Amino acid sequence: MKIHNLPLPDFSRKSFLIVEDYEGMRGILRDLLGRAGATRIDFAASGDSALTMLEKTRYDAVLCDLHLGQGKNGQQVLEEARLRQLLAPHGVWLMISAEKSSEMVMGTAETRPDDYLVKPISETLLFIRLRHQMDKKQVLAPIEQAMRDHEYLKAMRLVDQLLATHSAYTWDLKRLKAELALQSGDLEQARAVFEDALGQRDLPWARLGLARILFQDNQLEQARQHLLRITGGSRAYLDAHDWLARTLESLGDLDGAQKALEHALSLSPHVAARQSSLGEVAARRGDLETAARAYRRGIELARNSRNASVEPYLSLARVLLARGESGEAAEVIGRLGVDMKHDSNAQFLARVMEIPIRLNSGGEQAASQLLAELAPSLRHDAHRLPPELAFDLAGPLLQLGDRETLDAVFTNLLANHHEHPDYANRVRTLYAEAGREEEGVKLVEEATRSALDIMDRGVSLSRAGKLDEALTLLREACHKLPGNPRLLLNHAYLLITHMEQHGRDLHLVYEALECIKTARRSAPHDKRVGELLAKLEQVGA
Amino acid sequence: MADSMSDANLATAPDKMTDFPNPVNAEPGMSMSHFLVSSVHDMKNSLAVMADFLETALAQAADPATPLYRQASQALYETRRINDHLIQLLALYKIEQDFYPFDPREQNLADLALDALSRVANLAQARGISLEYECPDDLHAWFDYELIVGVLVQALHNALHYARGRVLCLIAADPRGGISIRVEDNGPGFPDFLLRQGASHQREISFETGSTGLGLYFASVVAGLHRGGERNGSTRLENEGSLGGGCFVLELP
Repeated sequence: MKIHNLPLPDFSRKSFLIVEDYEGMRGILRDLLGRAGATRIDFAASGDSALTMLEKTRYDAVLCDLHLGQGKNGQQVLEEARLRQLLAPHGVWLMISAEKSSEMVMGTAETRPDDYLVKPISETLLFIRLRHQMDKKQVLAPIEQAMRDHEYLKAMRLVDQLLATHSAYTWDLKRLKAELALQSGDLEQARAVFEDALGQRDLPWARLGLARILFQDNQLEQARQHLLRITGGSRAYLDAHDWLARTLESLGDLDGAQKALEHALSLSPHVAARQSSLGEVAARRGDLETAARAYRRGIELARNSRNASVEPYLSLARVLLARGESGEAAEVIGRLGVDMKHDSNAQFLARVMEIPIRLNSGGEQAASQLLAELAPSLRHDAHRLPPELAFDLAGPLLQLGDRETLDAVFTNLLANHHEHPDYANRVRTLYAEAGREEEGVKLVEEATRSALDIMDRGVSLSRAGKLDEALTLLREACHKLPGNPRLLLNHAYLLITHMEQHGRDLHLVYEALECIKTARRSAPHDKRVGELLAKLEQVGA
Repeated sequence: MADSMSDANLATAPDKMTDFPNPVNAEPGMSMSHFLVSSVHDMKNSLAVMADFLETALAQAADPATPLYRQASQALYETRRINDHLIQLLALYKIEQDFYPFDPREQNLADLALDALSRVANLAQARGISLEYECPDDLHAWFDYELIVGVLVQALHNALHYARGRVLCLIAADPRGGISIRVEDNGPGFPDFLLRQGASHQREISFETGSTGLGLYFASVVAGLHRGGERNGSTRLENEGSLGGGCFVLELP
């Protein structure tokens, strides 16, 4: 057949956002869309201004350049927009780049653009892809909505229905299905999809999916084999390097883990989380120089973004203290205070970290003064301390003779993490070295028992039909022990039981959801997470 | 002209180069390969601007019969040819350095044909060549889009250069599984030495024709990356096309 004129799509009713720092390119894209009748076109020249526009308008499609000069890149804008739910469920995100890059290819539904175009962009391809993605997202929008509502079973049902009726989007649907199965803890179902895909072609994303399942299943050696097959084929798959590092770290191969991360960073240095991972691995190896450099870069990259967190500041200060550079450590903590001046928890933690810093720089009296000031909050709010900060504090508390605070901090830490074997050992060692071996053993036992006691009492109260009392007890405990996944999941279970008897209650649904999500952060591989999410979705529905 | 098939405005704003890796242990930005890669990028951008300018000029020219028109269309061909080569060099460099993010996806082939043909439509028009394709609407295959469209555009540019008025792109399901893409012309056909060399990777530079063999080498490397079951993709040259001229064949599993 003759090449017929491609019928132009009709974009006259669609809204677009063009994110591009280069003015000439903005004009080109505007003209292209204009040829298809588009009139509602907004522009943003930077990542931050794009986010401001996205806050105001739910666009039908976003055309975003991956590289935006200074500031956030297109990938960071996409991730933040998804995280903050600034995109319509049917909204299309098309990433544009001079080169094909690994971020556009791998990643999960949350991090991957719907599609990408590599320059130079042909009008024909732009229209083909835009129309295809708009049609697809329209069909998939109910699934997206269900996922946003944490209704994974419903989303899965919708995926299966579409798979049976829509042949057009088979692989999009299958990939989505695998991700849903992973979210709801159904590893077998996810594995089946990845193996099906690998039966078709040697697809890097499917092999990575399989490796992640093996990792979660603690089959580390097999996970390592699959990851090496991906990274050996091409160095470009950065996610695979990150997972390889995680796997090697779990296998005890810290040298290999550091090498994998350094490799990924040589290709793509601008990822805060990857820099922090390198910091952790290097610190564990005793390579404090690399650790300090990586944490510094991670902090720089995340500053003023949604990814900014207290942890890398504290870790950097810890590394600097270990190198005897207390002046620099103080500077880092000072910067934390400024960078996160609106975050009261960060302010509190920064002041806590100042205690060991002052002590290290010879200011015993200043440290003692600060401790006296903070001690009541430390005892009352011990659950706010990240575990490593608690350990940072142990030496100073012993040196300054505040045993009461020491005991309070570690009783809470152990009750909060009663299933964590390392913490118990470290606490026992710590007390033994301070000449308080017996007290250490007792403290560990009591802390562990106190956590278990609460759960036992909750169970017996609910068995005795006193469900309200059980809920009150566990709700209180969850507040004090927010790092204890078992406790959180038990509380969620009780909340669901309550609703099974008395009907669905939106407040309780949210409370349970919050518990499950918090538990998932500290125990991402717990099978009960998926089971409870499923139960929660079905209760009274 | 400016119908919707012809991409007068292949969006060719300058690329922003970023993520290319430095050789291990090299100081950032200080190696020869850095300058080579960034220069190739830069040249590619300039050529794209020149090609766009030539297309616009040709579209506005009054009489296609004048020598100036013919020379300008020849210049457009040369510009596109060198641009193809620079794109191929960059892709080959990435593939051979193991950092090309190969991304096979199941994709529609009629879309591929439309896109590839639209990218060469202006050149075809300037040279007065009729460009046709045949492809079932619902044919799909697994392939890396950017690499395969690169191979196809290069084959079309080559066919447009040698054709005497007709170029045909035939895409069909292969009865053995997979698909075949044929780019045929009604020109004089490939010379014997090229047919003899076939799809082998070992190709000599021909000073007679000025062919470096880069295009065919690129095509065979790209085809070889596409694997399905026991089979690899492959390329070959023939002179038995339905139009009687040369025929470039790409088969994907």
